[in-house]
Amino acid sequence: MATQDSQSTEGGWARFGSLEAIRRKDNLAALLFILPNLIVFTAFLFVPVLFAVYLSFAEWQVLTGDLQFVGLDNYRSLIYPLPWENDWAVLSTPTVNLWWWAVSRTMIYTFGVVPVAIAGGLAVALVLDRQIRFKKVFRAAYFLPVMLSGAISAIIWGWILNLNGIVNNILGPVGLAHNWIGDPSTALGVIMLIAIWAGIGFNMIIFLAGLQNIPDELYEAARIDGTNGWQRFRHVTWPNLQNTYFFVIVLAIISSFQVFAIAYALTSGGPYYATTTIVVLIYQEAFQHDSMGLAAAMAMILFAIIFVFSYYQYRTRGNDEVTY
Amino acid sequence: MVRSNYDYPGYERSGPVYWAKKTTLYAGVIFGALLMIAPFYWTVTTALSANPSVGIVTILPETITFEHFRALFAENPVERWFFNAIVFAGAVTLFNVAFDTLAGYAFAKLDFFAREKVFLLFIGTMMIPGMVTLIPVYIILAELGWVNTYRGLIVPFIASPFGIFLLRQYFLGLPDSLGEAARIDGCNKFQAFYHIYLPLAKPAVATLGIFAFMGAWNNFEWPLIIATSQELYTLPVALFLVQGQYTQNWGLVMATAAIMVLPVILAFLSAQQYFIRGMTLSGMKG
Repeated sequence: MATQDSQSTEGGWARFGSLEAIRRKDNLAALLFILPNLIVFTAFLFVPVLFAVYLSFAEWQVLTGDLQFVGLDNYRSLIYPLPWENDWAVLSTPTVNLWWWAVSRTMIYTFGVVPVAIAGGLAVALVLDRQIRFKKVFRAAYFLPVMLSGAISAIIWGWILNLNGIVNNILGPVGLAHNWIGDPSTALGVIMLIAIWAGIGFNMIIFLAGLQNIPDELYEAARIDGTNGWQRFRHVTWPNLQNTYFFVIVLAIISSFQVFAIAYALTSGGPYYATTTIVVLIYQEAFQHDSMGLAAAMAMILFAIIFVFSYYQYRTRGNDEVTY
Repeated sequence: MVRSNYDYPGYERSGPVYWAKKTTLYAGVIFGALLMIAPFYWTVTTALSANPSVGIVTILPETITFEHFRALFAENPVERWFFNAIVFAGAVTLFNVAFDTLAGYAFAKLDFFAREKVFLLFIGTMMIPGMVTLIPVYIILAELGWVNTYRGLIVPFIASPFGIFLLRQYFLGLPDSLGEAARIDGCNKFQAFYHIYLPLAKPAVATLGIFAFMGAWNNFEWPLIIATSQELYTLPVALFLVQGQYTQNWGLVMATAAIMVLPVILAFLSAQQYFIRGMTLSGMKG
């Protein structure tokens, strides 16, 4: 239909009108373009999410098939605060509400991992964007850990940090051997280190992409002005990477909130709940304690946190678009 | 095209300061790279050494043996699991590329009702923890009778919001005028997409392909749930179950890890060129 509009115009001179016509009616075409995704998302995301929303107001034992609507009970039982003593034994009493504990563990994880993985990724990208020898080899090396699933990373690092693993064999003679994974005060740190190890390469690739989008002319002009390396970074690189920061930070935080595979494969949330993050807790509630409703309620709160955060980022970013 | 750093005033290529900086830089990069690679190296050496449970730090194992790999293959249908994993990851990759390029193009270049809102809805699905939808999806597939079939394994993953996001970013970076010119020359919207924009998007498509392949190859939870018979296990699931039997035999555990890691590394190395370019261009515009 729009094609006819463009043919009916005279030569190129009425282009404005014809472009308007082309741009105007894309609804049907767009629907067709989006349709496959729309069908898959509807069947395997939207409908299941609605079902999960319903579940969060219900109590459902999968094993017995017993489904009961309980209103806000699930949410109410999550609000009870946790005693904030730093005593691992307190956590193992069954009356303690683990939700806020898991939230705090996830927050510690996120605030520890995200800044380090992003700063590390940026540093590596800055170096490997320069004229350095073998930079393709180095890039591949730094990207290698990204390709591992969290579960495999956990298995490999479990071997390395094992009581008689490589790290303890190196540190043993110095008297620093330690049960890194089995000690509740170091277990979460171990998981954070694995996540940083795996995350730097991903952030590096995205920063490399961002760096290569900065026109060389800007650097040339800055050099001619006699700037030093730091000034060029501060006034050319930094501001021109704004969109990249947005992308990297949002992705990193979203995935940090959802950390599961590393924690679960390495420690199953233990020892003493030291690595029970939000999603680990959801998994345990749903599949080990058979309380789908409570797990769904937790998942809804997690989703709400992530959504508010991402939406805020999305909105604030629209205003300070960088133009070259 | 790019002038060398050294062509600019004040950038000397000699002197102690220059060499000190240069040495530090290389030392840092090499140290970091070794940290990244070391776990892989230990995975392989552990898998190849005869008695790894001692856990002694050696650069090379004293005796190299393929015994762990042989035992793994002899006791399990590893080839079958490998085949399943390739079918799963391959099909997911193909469908993702086809569907996400279409949708990404629509969100970047077509103007339609509630475009931004629909896009936000699609991207918003990235934020849904996988745990939320796992059980409902399983129930839907059980109703369809797709449990323990390739269909059930593959179909829930044939579209991905990340792919749409990536391709949209890429298409946004390509000028509108290309498509408009094609339209004036008589192309319809699909032809403009297929003949003009899609060929230009090869790097982004390669990037999406790698991510989709990696994601499916490494996916653990889903095959574990949907495959009820050994014949449909994919490699990761099967190997994790195998690993449970050999918890104290680190040689076998690391042999399984090595087998899982290898294909992804090969896939990455074969597409690395496109990959970096794809990330660059789809980059961060818009």
